[in-house]
Amino acid sequence: MTTAEGAAGDLPAAPDAARAAHRSPAIRRMAGALRAGETGAWRWSARVAVVLPTAALAFCVAVLAVKAAPAIGVNGLGFFTHSAYKIGSAYAPTVYTNGIAHPKGSAYGVLALIVGTLQSSVIALVVALPVSLGCAFALTERLPRWVSRPLGFAIELLAGIPSVVLGLWGVLTFGPILANNVYPAIARHMPNVPVLDWFRGTPGRGEGLLTGGLVLSLMIVPIITATTADLFRQVPPLPKEGAEALGMTDWEVAHRVTIPWVRAGIIGATALGLGRALGETIVLAMTTGSINRIAPNIFGSMSTFAAEIVTQLSSSLTDATGFAVATLAEMALVLAVISVLVNLVARWIVTRTSRLGGPVGSGV
Amino acid sequence: MADDASTTSPQVAPAVTEAKLAPGPVDPVLAAIDPDRGRPADAVVTRGLTLRFGEKTILSSIDMQFARGSITALIGPTGSGKSTFLRTLNRMNDKVQGFRYEGDVLLDGASIWTPGLDLLNLRRRVGMLFQRPNPFPMSIRDNVVAGVKAHRIAKGKQLDVVAEQRLREVGLWDSVKDRLGDSPFRLSGGQQQLLCLARALAVGPEVLLLDEPTSSLDPISTEYVEALLRQLAPALTLIVVTHNLAQARRVSHHTMFFYDGHLVEHGPTDDLFERPKDPQTERYVTGRIG
Repeated sequence: MTTAEGAAGDLPAAPDAARAAHRSPAIRRMAGALRAGETGAWRWSARVAVVLPTAALAFCVAVLAVKAAPAIGVNGLGFFTHSAYKIGSAYAPTVYTNGIAHPKGSAYGVLALIVGTLQSSVIALVVALPVSLGCAFALTERLPRWVSRPLGFAIELLAGIPSVVLGLWGVLTFGPILANNVYPAIARHMPNVPVLDWFRGTPGRGEGLLTGGLVLSLMIVPIITATTADLFRQVPPLPKEGAEALGMTDWEVAHRVTIPWVRAGIIGATALGLGRALGETIVLAMTTGSINRIAPNIFGSMSTFAAEIVTQLSSSLTDATGFAVATLAEMALVLAVISVLVNLVARWIVTRTSRLGGPVGSGV
Repeated sequence: MADDASTTSPQVAPAVTEAKLAPGPVDPVLAAIDPDRGRPADAVVTRGLTLRFGEKTILSSIDMQFARGSITALIGPTGSGKSTFLRTLNRMNDKVQGFRYEGDVLLDGASIWTPGLDLLNLRRRVGMLFQRPNPFPMSIRDNVVAGVKAHRIAKGKQLDVVAEQRLREVGLWDSVKDRLGDSPFRLSGGQQQLLCLARALAVGPEVLLLDEPTSSLDPISTEYVEALLRQLAPALTLIVVTHNLAQARRVSHHTMFFYDGHLVEHGPTDDLFERPKDPQTERYVTGRIG
C-alpha cells in the first residue's frame, strides 16, 4: 500500500495523486526521491545565489584594500587636501617612507578628482533629471501609443550605445560645436557675481567640465527615463482624475499628484543615474581634457577619479616599486567609498520623503 | 454617527466670486443677499444630449433639467450609460479617445462647450466625487486645500482657515485636527472619502457630481455620507450615480432611470419608485432586472 493510494482513500483524489497511481512503484519511488532532492538543490542554489554577490563585493574591496595598504600609510591625509600625480624619478635611488619603497619625488593628491567627480556628476544630473522626467511624462501621459512605443524604444537603445562611442562623438563633434557656438556666448553674457561668475572666463576648446557633464547626462537620461516611465505607469488613474476634476492643469496634476506619488522611486532612479555618472570612465577621460586640477571655470579642463585611474594606469605600471599602482588602488577605494556614501544618502532621502508618497509602488 | 451629522449642521459657504459667474448683469448688492438671483432655476440642463465612443452610441438624446439645490439620483444597470452621462457634465470625457457628443449641456444657461470657455473654472464650478476615495500624495491639510491653491482662491494663513472650515463641514475635523500633516492614506476608507468631499467643497462648486460615492464604504460611513449630502443640497446641486436603490430613495429628490443607453423614465423619487410609469422601470426598481 503506497502513500498515494492511502491518501486517495480518505480524500478525493488530487489530479497528481490520480496520475501517480497509474505509474509503476519503481518510477514512483524515483519521482519521490527526485522531488525530495529538488527541495535540497533549490535551497542550496538559493544560498549560493544570495552569498555570491556579497562575497564578490567583499573580495573586491579586500583586494583593493590590500593593494592600497602601502600607499594609504605613505600618502596619509595629505592625499585628500591637494592635487598631484607624480610618479617620481625612475633613475634616482628608491626612497623609503615608513619602510615602504617609492621613487624619489613621488607625490599624489586627489582633491581635484573628488571635486571633479562630484562636479561632473552634479552637472549631468541637473541636466538629465528634468529632461528625463519630461521624457517619461510625455511617453506615458501625452503621446499616442504609436509615437511613444518607438520613441521609448529609441531612448532605451541610447542606453546601449558603448560609452567610448559617445566619448569620441563628444570630443570630436559635440565639444567643438559647443566651444565654437555656445560657450563664448555664455561666457560673455554671464554677470560677474558669485556663483554665476563661474560661467565666465575662457570658453576653451570644448574639452572640459561642461562638455564632459553634458555627454554624461546623455548617458544617464535613458536610465532615469526608462525607470521613471515605468513608475508613472504604476500611478493609478483615480488620483489623477481627481486632480483633473478639481480643475488642475496637466502641469499641476503632474507635479502635485503624479510625481509625488512615485517620488521615492524617482529618487531611487536618480541615485541609479548618479551611480552611473560617478563611475563613468571613458567618456570623461575623452571629453574633459584629463588634467588633474580643479577646473578654473565651468568650461575648463579637469579630470575625475575614474578617468584619472584609466589614463594613469599605463604610466603607473612603469613604477618599479609598485607604489603608483598601490596609489591607483587607493584611488579606486576612495571612489568606491564615495559611491556607497552617495547611495546611502539617496536611501536616507527616500525614507524621509516616502512618508507622504503614494500608498503603493513607492518602495523602489 | 448619522446623529452627529444632523446635529453639526454644516455651513456651506457660497462659491467665491459667485456674482461674477452669473450670466448677464447682476446687481452686486442683490447678489450678496441672494446669490441665485437672476440665474435660471435649473442649474444644469441637457438638450438632446447624445454621447458616442467611436461608432458606439452610449446615450441617445437626453433632455433633462436639474433644479438648483436638488439631489438627483441616476440609477440603472451597469453599462446603461449613467456614469458616462455624469462624466460629461464636467467634461471629463473630452480626453477619452473617440468621444463625440451631439446636443448640449447648459450650466446656468451657458453651454459647457462654449468655445474659449475656461475649462479649469468649469471644473471648479462642477465638482466631482469618485467611486473610491482618491486622496493626493500630500498631507491631509494639503489635500483639502489642493484645489484652493490651484485656483488661487486663498493663500498663506487663509489656507489653514479654509482647511479647518471644510474639514468641519464634513465632520472630519475632530478626528484629524492633531494630524493635519500626516499622510491621508492611513485614514479609514470612509474618512478618506470625506476628505475628498472636503477637498471638492473647498473650491466652492455649484454642482457636485458623485459617481457611486459610497460603493466602497461600510454601512455606517455610507449612512453618514448620505446625511451629509442631504445637508449640502440646498446650497449645492447634487447629481448622484448609485447602484444602491435604497440609497437613491433615501437621498434624492429626483431619480433618473437609465436602461441600455436610454433615459427610460425620470421624475420625483417617490413617484418613480412607487408608481413607475414604464414597465422596465417597474421591473428594475422591484429588483426583477438589473
